[in-house]
Amino acid sequence: MSKDKSESITWKNRTVRLTLFPVLILTIYAVLFAVMPEKAIAAFKSSGKIFLNIIIPLGFVFILLLAFNLFLKPAHIVKFFGKKSGIKGIMLSSAAGIISMGPVFAWYPLLRELREKGAANSLMAIFINSRAIKPFLLPVMISYFGLRYVTVLTAVTVAGTIVAGYITGVLSRD
Amino acid sequence: MKIAVSSEGPDLESKVGQRFGTSKYFVIVDKETMDFESVPNPGASSSSGSGVQAIVLVVTKKVDTVLTGYCSPTAMGHLNKNGIKIVTGAGGSVYDAVTRYKKSELRNIPKADHKPDSWTGENNRAAPTIAFKSSARQFFNLLPTLAGVVLLIGLFNALMSKELLSLVFSGDAFFDTLWGACFGSIFAGNPVNSYVIGGQLLEYDVSLFAVTAVIVAWVTVGLVQIPAEISALGRKFAVVRNVVSFFMSIAVAGVTVVLFNFIRWKF
Repeated sequence: MSKDKSESITWKNRTVRLTLFPVLILTIYAVLFAVMPEKAIAAFKSSGKIFLNIIIPLGFVFILLLAFNLFLKPAHIVKFFGKKSGIKGIMLSSAAGIISMGPVFAWYPLLRELREKGAANSLMAIFINSRAIKPFLLPVMISYFGLRYVTVLTAVTVAGTIVAGYITGVLSRD
Repeated sequence: MKIAVSSEGPDLESKVGQRFGTSKYFVIVDKETMDFESVPNPGASSSSGSGVQAIVLVVTKKVDTVLTGYCSPTAMGHLNKNGIKIVTGAGGSVYDAVTRYKKSELRNIPKADHKPDSWTGENNRAAPTIAFKSSARQFFNLLPTLAGVVLLIGLFNALMSKELLSLVFSGDAFFDTLWGACFGSIFAGNPVNSYVIGGQLLEYDVSLFAVTAVIVAWVTVGLVQIPAEISALGRKFAVVRNVVSFFMSIAVAGVTVVLFNFIRWKF
């Protein structure tokens, strides 16, 4: 199979996977419209309102994504992990998790290699859990919950992920 | 002395892989005895970061020299920093490449068509364009599911009532948080969806404890991703991490809301 053909199939699969969920929901809308048109219109209007609320924060999300992609590269994240245990190792694993992007499973192969290289289980867990903090999504979070709540949640989550990472490290020790 | 050869297959007869980052295997050959070990390149199937994964692999295997067709200058820099010599321009079978290298026939052939190094961005004029394309891809990838979630919430608003939701979220702080953590653990995907759902739950008077647990568990606990996590990092680690994270999400929710209410009351 030619490279172009296989790339186009991969692209097609990804598009199908990405659009499956919204298409399914739109199908439910179509069915609802046929049965209870006034409910379907009310649902659509309600969704429209939510879209309007998140459109500006989403604009900021794009700007932050761009800044992250421009200045932070996977090589930096690996460098963070190169450091061994101790407070510095914990802080750096946490920072690496916070700035890492993309789905978590994309990081699994790299994590496996780092683990074979000797990275501690606790640091792995801290990395994975720290991904709960998404700096580039903060605009949306703040627009929903307010700056004060987001600040408290972020601080508590950082602490929580470190504690959970440590416990995971102790309990999963071979 | 260990030589890693980027390769299209797992043995000495396989063809040399022409790109360091994305070759399917690394065949690691002992220069003196010609004993070899083959390791699949975790970066071969990745769309990004393959160079990093390949570097991590050869560094981990304590290799002295890498033979490959082409390697980006930045990857070369990282390998050199780790004391690994890299020789480009290798071709033919892995066995031929190692033999030629031993006879000093194989030399570093710098390539003129250096591709941009999207994973480091060092000295790279194309970096802004690559960053823009990458951001656009990530951004547009999160939009379809987000659109689906928003449309689903619209349906929810039109068809459900607060009374119906209160059957699950009864107002009891502990059980609401527990349900929130369960809900967040089942679902996965971009966390932006959990913010939108959480915001909507608040409008339905679901407690902030529950909403916080949803948001934290959404990313830290991944039931649907557990098989992938087990195969990558082992069963024990994956199970322990997810269980601990589940309880962590409940604890974080409790502490966050108590602290938040305290700050709001105090200031």
